[in-house]
Amino acid sequence: MVLSQKIHDAFKGTVERITNPRTVSAFKEKGVLSVNEFVIAGDNLVSKCPTWSWESGDPNKRKTYLLSDKQFLITRNVPCLRRVASIQEEYEAAGGEILLDDDENDGWLATHGKPKDTKGDEEENVPSMETLEISKNTIHPFSSHFGTEEEEEDIPDMEEFEESDNVIENDPATLQPTYLVAHEPDDDNILRTRTYDVSITYDKYYQTPRVWLTGYDESRMLLEPELVLQDVSQDHARKTVTIEDHPHLPGKHASVHPCKHAAVMKKLIDPLFAGGFEPQVDKYLFLFLKFVATVIPTIEYDYTMDFDLGSSST
Amino acid sequence: MAGTENGPILQFAPFQSSVDAGFWHELSSLKLNKLKTDESPIPITGYYTPCSNSQVSSHLTLLTESLPTDPTDEQQAKTSHGNRNKCSVPGILYNTNTLEGYYALDKQALLKAEAKKIWDDIQSGKAEEDSSVLSRFLLISFADLKKFNFYYWFAFPGIVLDPPATLVDLKPASKWFTPKEAESVSASCNEWRMSSLTAGVPFFLVSISSNSQAAIRPLKDFETCQREGHKMLFGFYDPSHLPNNPGWPLRNFLVFISAKWNLKKIQFLCYRENHGFADLGLSLVGEALIQPSQAWQDQDHVPNAVGWELNKGKRSSRCINLSTSMDPTRMAISAA
Repeated sequence: MVLSQKIHDAFKGTVERITNPRTVSAFKEKGVLSVNEFVIAGDNLVSKCPTWSWESGDPNKRKTYLLSDKQFLITRNVPCLRRVASIQEEYEAAGGEILLDDDENDGWLATHGKPKDTKGDEEENVPSMETLEISKNTIHPFSSHFGTEEEEEDIPDMEEFEESDNVIENDPATLQPTYLVAHEPDDDNILRTRTYDVSITYDKYYQTPRVWLTGYDESRMLLEPELVLQDVSQDHARKTVTIEDHPHLPGKHASVHPCKHAAVMKKLIDPLFAGGFEPQVDKYLFLFLKFVATVIPTIEYDYTMDFDLGSSST
Repeated sequence: MAGTENGPILQFAPFQSSVDAGFWHELSSLKLNKLKTDESPIPITGYYTPCSNSQVSSHLTLLTESLPTDPTDEQQAKTSHGNRNKCSVPGILYNTNTLEGYYALDKQALLKAEAKKIWDDIQSGKAEEDSSVLSRFLLISFADLKKFNFYYWFAFPGIVLDPPATLVDLKPASKWFTPKEAESVSASCNEWRMSSLTAGVPFFLVSISSNSQAAIRPLKDFETCQREGHKMLFGFYDPSHLPNNPGWPLRNFLVFISAKWNLKKIQFLCYRENHGFADLGLSLVGEALIQPSQAWQDQDHVPNAVGWELNKGKRSSRCINLSTSMDPTRMAISAA
């Protein structure tokens, strides 16, 4: 399984090196984006949702087909107040009603909320990586090197070094830390607020945007990518969402694999056509982020819910 | 909350740090390729934004670009005033060669030295021109490049007002302003945040005319605003999301206002956003009383400062292990 992914990565890398980036628009026909269209859609996202911004990233990792100051998009410190599992429990308790109270016209969203017995139907709409035959095992080799007992020995317990000697701070004007978790009782059974940095890169091979997640715990310490999967819809964890090297940032990050993005985007765009809208390419990322919200339902990033889908509605 | 005859003591929510893995990667390569055993302090740049969510505070964040490309060039300015999501804050890094050296650092003295820089910038008027110097920070670290452990501790020097400022009133900005004023304040703040010239300027004046028209002005316009006789508030980008506590940057701002203009009663705006736009429901307006310290009259006086960051409520360092993204052998195994 792992091997098939490696082979695919090698193949994808080679294709990316020898092919030119897409320059002709095909987003209506295929749901894909050209490099220019990615920049247009990114500019629009940044202007409508200003918590997003363009980044230039590591100079050594820059893609020549993108402007140096517009390599990828990022929004930082996005709260994730609860784990997906709790949402799914709630939803099942509620009799399988659709939890995401999204617009009815996005019928594909509903599949996420359907009870488990409609799984067959779901497979059709939810992108998966089955074609790449990646299963649970994929991430095991990685996890075994993150937080093993051996490693814990390497990480010193900082409380040993707790100091009281030369840090003297009994200042009545400093808010004491108990207030900082005022929203959440100080109980280890309660999940604290995580935060995420969500980034969007351009995937030259699939010609679509690609979403990456970097997770942090409540004291803003980096989360192991394995723990990030707790905030991914369980239908997608380990299938659509994999842990890979980020093209611009160091380290492993969880990512929604883009292999089915074009197909899903086309599914979203087609009904607009049918409804008489002329979908505009600068809205691509809003649609895209709506789709991503079904994969990471508890990560509350900004994707402005109300926007004009096409030219005829303006 | 301890009280005085003038009301409760104004309590500030401490700044919280966040370090991107890219920063440690960059520091490692700088250490191996350029710094070697040089332990000189390095000027670095942190970034923050106004709080943009009702549930989490924003952090002082270090990124790859926080480190200078040439650490010996002290003049190298890393300004990104154009990026509204990365308002720069000047900082200094003490990276030691050994763990013993790290623990031997005199933290009180280092904090005091940074607080003195803030105090000097207040006295010299530099803070009026470049207000970002009011939120200086300090980072001490030891990079164990054999085990890929990074030990570190942040301090956000806050000058202590003695006696502390007291709070007369603090409420959501939407309840403090009239609806007409609120509308104009929101519009002006959004304009300030949209312009690449001002988006990264974290301290400002809010001037409101008698016909409820608001204008955001730079600090150096204080005298002009005062002559105009408009209602005036001192605004700052507030990283805190808490409904009852302004964030840390207000501390030194109050010291600045008190020392510079000798005001005793200060109305301030804790500017916060939602989804990147001004949100006066989350933003707070408060009124604080300050008693100017007699000691400040003395030219050589350096006020006390606090601000070492707590680690899960305790006074201790943090440590992060990055072997999974740095260790060549582990990376080879995970890639196999």
